[in-house]
Amino acid sequence: MQITFDQVSHMYGKGTPFERLALQNISLTIPSGAFVGIIGQTGSGKSTLIQHLNGLLTPTSGKITIGDVVITPSQRIPHARRKDIGLVFQYPEHQLFEETVAKDVCFGPLNFELPPNMAEARAREALEIVGLDYETMKDRSPFQLSGGQMRRVAIAGVLAMQPKVLVLDEPTAGLDPAGRKAILEGIHRIHREQKLTTLLVTHSMEEAARYADLMLVMAGGELVMQGRPEEVFQQAELLRTLSLDVPETVSFISRINQSLPDKESLPTTLYREEELIAHLLERLSAPKEC
Amino acid sequence: MLQNIAIGQYVPGQSFLHRADPRSKLLFIVLFATLVFLGNNTITHSILIGFTLFTILLSRLSFTYILKSLKPVWFLILFTVILHIFMTKGGTVYYQWGSFTIEEQGVRQAIFISIRLGLLILFSSLLTLTTSPMDLTEGLERLLRPFGRIGVPVHEIALMMSIALRFIPTLMEETDKIIKAQTARGADFTSGNLVRRAKNLIPIAIPLFISAFRRAEELALAMEARGYRGGVGRTRLNKLQFTWRDVAIAVVAAALTFVIWWWRT
Ligand SMILES: Nc1ncnc2c1ncn2[C@@H]1O[C@H](COP(=O)(O)OP(=O)(O)OP(=O)(O)O)[C@@H](O)[C@H]1O
Ligand SMILES: [Mg+2]
Repeated sequence: MQITFDQVSHMYGKGTPFERLALQNISLTIPSGAFVGIIGQTGSGKSTLIQHLNGLLTPTSGKITIGDVVITPSQRIPHARRKDIGLVFQYPEHQLFEETVAKDVCFGPLNFELPPNMAEARAREALEIVGLDYETMKDRSPFQLSGGQMRRVAIAGVLAMQPKVLVLDEPTAGLDPAGRKAILEGIHRIHREQKLTTLLVTHSMEEAARYADLMLVMAGGELVMQGRPEEVFQQAELLRTLSLDVPETVSFISRINQSLPDKESLPTTLYREEELIAHLLERLSAPKEC
Repeated sequence: MLQNIAIGQYVPGQSFLHRADPRSKLLFIVLFATLVFLGNNTITHSILIGFTLFTILLSRLSFTYILKSLKPVWFLILFTVILHIFMTKGGTVYYQWGSFTIEEQGVRQAIFISIRLGLLILFSSLLTLTTSPMDLTEGLERLLRPFGRIGVPVHEIALMMSIALRFIPTLMEETDKIIKAQTARGADFTSGNLVRRAKNLIPIAIPLFISAFRRAEELALAMEARGYRGGVGRTRLNKLQFTWRDVAIAVVAAALTFVIWWWRT
């Protein structure tokens, strides 16, 4: 589903001394099927932005269009349409409440009136995507799992609704590197297979570089950059003034390029680690033409 | 959603009221409450209303924001007003319908009672709006210290109060977040009959309890790790200090008491 924001602003605590403008005139377009990386410093408004996508927050002004649903300050999203937009919150494991893992994952599908046997089938699928075995997990209490397992169960709870737009707010914060990679790979896989539109909020430039084909950079409630990753990473200076950084691969390339003659320099589009390695290997193994 | 319930929350500022000693403010409120119930005619009530308006001005907070603190209790005020209008008898009969009468005394009492309740609530919310929870509990601890001699655990009570005050906004935020997360999973808290709605609270209540317990445990650990061992021998970073402001408050208190005493009938 295509997502557009038109001059969207959001103010917390309107009419109290605690007023706070958290989003300022955000305009953006996300084409259907895109994998979007959202980056920005702490407090820049990323979580506020994504909560607008399924109507948990309504804009103070402006207009949001998601597929054929329109959200404005006065027009809310219909309940039934919420299931199209799956939102995984920061620290989603804090929302677990059921007695068993299976029941918790089925909570979403059942809320949208899916028959129990279908909900179970979806729970099975969703748990496999995040790398958990349904049979061994289904009867365990979610509170007896490790932090990483809880996180996966919570993510599965959203995946089981089979949303068309998947929004993840730092899904890997506080996990070990292997766990981070496993979860993101699972998400990337269903993103491709089910042609989802995915938004990933992350503090890791490497994660953004690896998966995103569109990047949004937030700072102080404003959208300061949007574009393809290589375009964004080229503005290393601007990113640095926003206390952000470029991925390791990009700074590696620019440092190598400093000592290479211009016509041999590495292309900056190689910000994905695998592609960079492949390219380097190819260069190194190619016979030197003198 | 929930952040609209900011009532009673401390709003930092630099006004006279903000900078006065919490002990003076607490004592003044006790006195004010007494005066409000001593007032028994139009003049004393007008004086009290005028004084409250003046104090609100002094706090430099927005008037409409302070008025919002009446929101959770307007029902109580309305209830007492209705009770008085129909139950209290005496004076001229304004309206009669069968054995039903509305009489002068009833209306009078209804107006007075609503003014009193309103003033008390406005005044006490002014206290919490202009005093940080830390100052408030420290003021209370100091005022109650004499009771420590007869075995009242003053320090513990004050500590419990400050922790509770400190965590109210945190728990509200947490509740807000959990409600949002469950709403995103399709939970619906606004429709259905009472039983259904009560059942729908489970997905909120359980995560909330778990997080509250977790927080309590973490806090206890953190306090112990930093050497907390009760109130004995504990010193303060910022000591409360009486200033000219507190003298001014004392003078105003005496004057107000005298005026109310003079005009009451
Ligand atoms: N419920 C709320 N009430 C009032 N202000 C809020 C609320 N939630 C967020 N804010 C404020 O809005 C701004 C943006 O917050 P937001 O949570 O969107 O940041 P973020 O980019 O997600 O940060 P992080 O990376 O730390 O998650 C912050 O300044 C924050 O203080
Ligand atoms: Mg956030």
